[in-house]
Amino acid sequence: MSGVLTWMLVALGLGVVVFRRRSVAVGIVTAQALVLAVGAFVDASSRDEIAAAAALAARATGLAVLLLLVVSRTREPRPVRAGVTPFARAGLAVSLALALIWLVPAIGLESREAERATLTLVAFGLVTVATRRATLLQVVGIVLVENAVALAALELPGASSLVIELGVAFDLTLVALVAAVFHERIFAEFGAGDTHALRVLRD
Amino acid sequence: MTNRELLALAVVGLPAFVGVLLALAPRRLLRGVAIAGAAPVGALALAFGGWALARPEDAEAGKWIVVDAAGGLLVVAIALVGLASVLVSPGHLRTSAGSLVSESRRERTYYTVLYAFWAILLAVPLAGNLGAAWLLVEATTATSAILVGFSGKPRALEAAWKYLILTSLGLGVALLGVVLLAAGIPTGGLDGLTWGALSGYDGDEETALVAYLLLLAGLAAKIGWAPVHNWLPDAHSEAPPPVSALLSGALLPAVLLVAWRATDALEPVVGASTAESVVIAFGLVSLAVAVPFLWRALAWKRLLAYSSLEHMGVIALGIGFATPLALAGVVIHVLGHAVAKSLGFYAATPLLVARPRASRHPVGGVARGEPVLGTTMGISLAALAGLPPLPLFVSEVLIVAGGFQAGRDWAAGVAAVLLALGFLGLAHALVETTVGRPRGRSAARAPGRRGLAVLAGASLVLLLGLTAVGAWLPGSNLVEILTEGIA
Repeated sequence: MSGVLTWMLVALGLGVVVFRRRSVAVGIVTAQALVLAVGAFVDASSRDEIAAAAALAARATGLAVLLLLVVSRTREPRPVRAGVTPFARAGLAVSLALALIWLVPAIGLESREAERATLTLVAFGLVTVATRRATLLQVVGIVLVENAVALAALELPGASSLVIELGVAFDLTLVALVAAVFHERIFAEFGAGDTHALRVLRD
Repeated sequence: MTNRELLALAVVGLPAFVGVLLALAPRRLLRGVAIAGAAPVGALALAFGGWALARPEDAEAGKWIVVDAAGGLLVVAIALVGLASVLVSPGHLRTSAGSLVSESRRERTYYTVLYAFWAILLAVPLAGNLGAAWLLVEATTATSAILVGFSGKPRALEAAWKYLILTSLGLGVALLGVVLLAAGIPTGGLDGLTWGALSGYDGDEETALVAYLLLLAGLAAKIGWAPVHNWLPDAHSEAPPPVSALLSGALLPAVLLVAWRATDALEPVVGASTAESVVIAFGLVSLAVAVPFLWRALAWKRLLAYSSLEHMGVIALGIGFATPLALAGVVIHVLGHAVAKSLGFYAATPLLVARPRASRHPVGGVARGEPVLGTTMGISLAALAGLPPLPLFVSEVLIVAGGFQAGRDWAAGVAAVLLALGFLGLAHALVETTVGRPRGRSAARAPGRRGLAVLAGASLVLLLGLTAVGAWLPGSNLVEILTEGIA
């Protein structure tokens, strides 16, 4: 995958960290996964690799449909405030990414650029889950981490495995489906998909 | 495909088939199908797991399926807890209300998802490939999250959400570790990650260590090891009691087995001492975090949840010490913990009917008004505390002795002190809960006393039987083979 595409993925990831609207965040992770799928198609040299790229594209599309459907069924009167300003979130995400790049030695991908992009996207996903209050945005954070893993898988020197790619796509969709069920129930119970309401259980 | 592999497929396929039957069966037959299906599923899995334990030298490791003693141990634990959980579920459904779905679909959804969860759980210890094991562990998250939040009550929704998000995030990190390992395997690709192939990793040693740490940190979030255990007390305390039993007695050790296999397989690559030290560190931190909570007056299920954190720490220590004594302790501990913890959770169903306040507040003097219920809770707590002659006393002594045998005196000494403190905390809870000052009034008589007495009696027999096995196990062929490696 070219350096431009790789850094486009990172820029999109930063968008998930800073943008407020759920539909925008869903659109961004979908675009990111589709960029990955295009990169996988371009680099594919066997039937299995083409099928694995198709699985990635199908996963991206399926998740987008599911998450956008959930957004439309649970319209918030106004976006759930994150509690941390977008600027602070971006600062935190970039700091964590730099720390990971500094701490983690070479991880065996085809280029150091891809390794940095992978670690950066993992950091962005972790910060998204930790700092966003909207339930759906936490799910988007997990998808962001999975996109980072997909990037790493594409940049591996070895061949990709269709069985596992399909399995990961199926598992992630299953988890997103269950998360959607809970998001809708939380929305119905508390009037908003806001994790701030989920703070009763503690010792 | 060998006979053992076919049987392994049957062990997983049978509960999946019953799950499909439950999805299609007429509503009036649901309970009957669920109960009738549990017997063959449990019997087959118990026989299969017992066979793998009795004939450890006949282990088989294929590309997708592994049949060995360690897997057999977990299959036995999952079969026992799954069987009992299905059998006590009608009592829970009868005495509770509300669900994520409409009333007309409540029973069907519960049993279908419960069987799906049971089937996937049985598959985890039999996965012969790290990639497949990851997929199965992720699949347990989706099914068990539905069960954790099944009541649909606000607290259950909170617990299920935390569980789903934190464990999925952890498994995402673990997947990155899996992908990095795949890069260094000569066979190439993620499906080449058999446990045996992991030992042949020929990439950079530093990369392997990073991948191993990512994998273990990610799995730790699912095992409930501190410091990434935040979901555990909430999910265990808010899930329906039969599901809490499956989470604690079956799911946590099943995922722990995946970590054990990965540790064992990667020892030649990252160094045995390094790999074992990481596992021991998780064990000690889990014990240190759990012990203060065992000293606090907590609601019954929450107390059991923190005890799970303690016991996953103890098992981690045994795996990390990796000596014959420690591994003998691990075998006894996995089974003893599964039996004792499940019994404690099953007692929660009648307890919550008799004393609804027990869902959020500590209980006291239960045996004074409800002798059967109090005795059942007492057996569970006594076993979990490690009171002699119950098996967790034997296993904890074996594991600590195994630590000294491994030359890890410092870790074994700290573990012994923490275990003693944990024992005192739970022993205090045992006295308070059973014969202490009564707290709160009884709303009703506890239902299902006869069934509970049978369950408590059977559990006590199993626990004492395990103690006897504990005396024979060190030096046995089983432990010798486990010590040589399970990957």
